[in-house]
Amino acid sequence: MPNRSPVAHKITMKVTEMAQTLLADVFIEMADTLVDDFDLLEFLNRLTERCVELLDVAAAGLLLTDGQGTLQVVAASSERTRLLELFQLQTDQGPCLDCFRTGAPVSVTDLPASGRWPRFTAAAAEVGFAAVHALPMRLRTDVIGALNLFDVAAGPLDEDKVRLGQALADVSTIGLLQQRAIHRRDVVTEQLQTALNSRVLIEQAKGLLAERLHVNVDDAFTILRNASRSHNRPLSNLAQAIVDGTEPLPAATTTATKKASGRHRTTLT
Amino acid sequence: MSVDRRLRLWSLMVERADGAAIAVDHAGAVAVAAAGVDTVAVVVTLAASPRESVYASSALGADLEELTTTLGEGPGVDALGDGPSLAADLREAWCLARWPMFAPAAVGLGVCAAFALPLRVGGVRLGVMDLYRVRPGPLEHDHLADALLLADTACALLLDGPGSLAGKRPEGASLQHPEVHQATGMIVAQLGVTAAVALMRLRAYAYAHDERLRDVAANVVARRIRFHAEPVAGGAQDNDEGD
Repeated sequence: MPNRSPVAHKITMKVTEMAQTLLADVFIEMADTLVDDFDLLEFLNRLTERCVELLDVAAAGLLLTDGQGTLQVVAASSERTRLLELFQLQTDQGPCLDCFRTGAPVSVTDLPASGRWPRFTAAAAEVGFAAVHALPMRLRTDVIGALNLFDVAAGPLDEDKVRLGQALADVSTIGLLQQRAIHRRDVVTEQLQTALNSRVLIEQAKGLLAERLHVNVDDAFTILRNASRSHNRPLSNLAQAIVDGTEPLPAATTTATKKASGRHRTTLT
Repeated sequence: MSVDRRLRLWSLMVERADGAAIAVDHAGAVAVAAAGVDTVAVVVTLAASPRESVYASSALGADLEELTTTLGEGPGVDALGDGPSLAADLREAWCLARWPMFAPAAVGLGVCAAFALPLRVGGVRLGVMDLYRVRPGPLEHDHLADALLLADTACALLLDGPGSLAGKRPEGASLQHPEVHQATGMIVAQLGVTAAVALMRLRAYAYAHDERLRDVAANVVARRIRFHAEPVAGGAQDNDEGD
C-alpha cells in the first residue's frame, strides 16, 4: 500500500512487535520438546496455530508420511482445515501432495485460476480458501511431510513470510526428532508412528465425548483440547484416560468453546 | 503406493495360508521375507494376562519371546506401551542401558537387531509384532514399510477373528478414515464396552451388512446408526428416529 498514514504505520509497528513476541513463544515451545513428558501432537497443533498468527494466513495444516508411503493429517489450526487436508489425501490430488512428492514448495496464489486439481479447488472454495502455499518438511534427503498454509484471499505470500514459514516447518521437523535420540535414524519412524496413533486415540476420545455430552465431534475436540490445556496435561494422555474410562469427563461449557474459537484469526463461514 | 503394497502382501498371505482360514500367523510368516529378518513372533495382550505368544516363525523366535516374558524387558515390552521400538544393534550402549538383561541375552542367542511394532489402533492395544535379525543394522525403507503394513493387517485379523471373511481382505486398521475411530468412541459410550470390543462390533456390523467400514462409521457419527446393549443378533439396529 502506498501513502501509508501515521496510524497505519503505528499499526504495522505493533504487528511487528507482536510477531516478535509470538516468535519468542515458538522458541520457548520448541525448548519444551526437550523435556520428558513432551506432547508431540500438542506441539504440532500449536505450531499450526502459530503459523496462522505469525504469517497472517487463514489456516494451516500439517501432513506427515506414515512410513508405508501414505500421508496422514497430523495437525491443523481448525477442524475445517483438517477436513480439507483429509479430502486432499482421499482424492489423491492437491498442491500439498505435489509438494510432498517433489520435495519443493508449491505456491498457488489463485486456486480457481490455476486450473489444476479441480476437485481440491472446489473443496477449498467450499470452506472459503482461495490460495494455498505448501512447504516441504525435509530431513536430510527425505521428505517426511508438508506444512500447508491456506488463505481466503487470492495472492502471493511475501518472501519474508515464506522464509518464516519454512523455518516453522523445519522447527516441526526438529520437534519430531527430539534432542535425546537425534543420532538414531529409527527415531523418526518411532515418533511418526506414535504421533499417528495418538491421532487415532484423539478421534476415539472425540467420539466418546460427543456421545456422552451430546455434542458434535468438532465441539468434542474443542472440549478435549481446552481440558488438556487448562490442566496442562498432554492431549494424547488425556485422550487415553478418557478412552480407558479412568478419567471423569470434562464438562461441555460454552466459555470453553468460545475461548478456543477466539484463538483463530479468521472464523470461516 | 500403499495400495499395491497391501495387495502384494495380501496375496503372499493367501498363498501362505494355502486354503486355510487366513490368520495372524500368516501375517507373521510373510513378514520374515518381506522385512528381510530371520524370525518373527506375534504376541497378544489381553486384559487379564500380560503377554501371550500366539505365533513364532521358528524356535529362535519362540525363545526370544520367552526371554522377553521372563525378563519383563526388551523392545517387545516397550512397544506395548510407547510405540514402535527399533533397535538396529543390540550391542550399542543405549540398548544395553535400556535393556540390561535382554540385550546381552538376545545377542547370546545370535540376534543383533530387534524391531518391535505395536499392534494397536489408538487406545485399542492388541499386542506386538516382534521382528529379529541376526545381522545388525536398521530396517531398509521398503522392509520397514512392509512390516508396518503387515502389523496393520495383523491388527485387522486380531479384531475380526480368523476366517471371518472367508478369504476376503480385511479393511486396514490405521488412520485414513477418522470417522471410524470417532464411531468407535461413540460405541464405547453406547454399549459401555472397551474400545477393543467397540471396534470389533463396528467392523462386524460392516461385514454383516456388506458395507464399507467408513460408511457405517459415518452413519454412527451422524447418529443414523446406534448400537444397543441388548444381546440382539447382529449387534446393532438402525435407528431412523434421530435424537
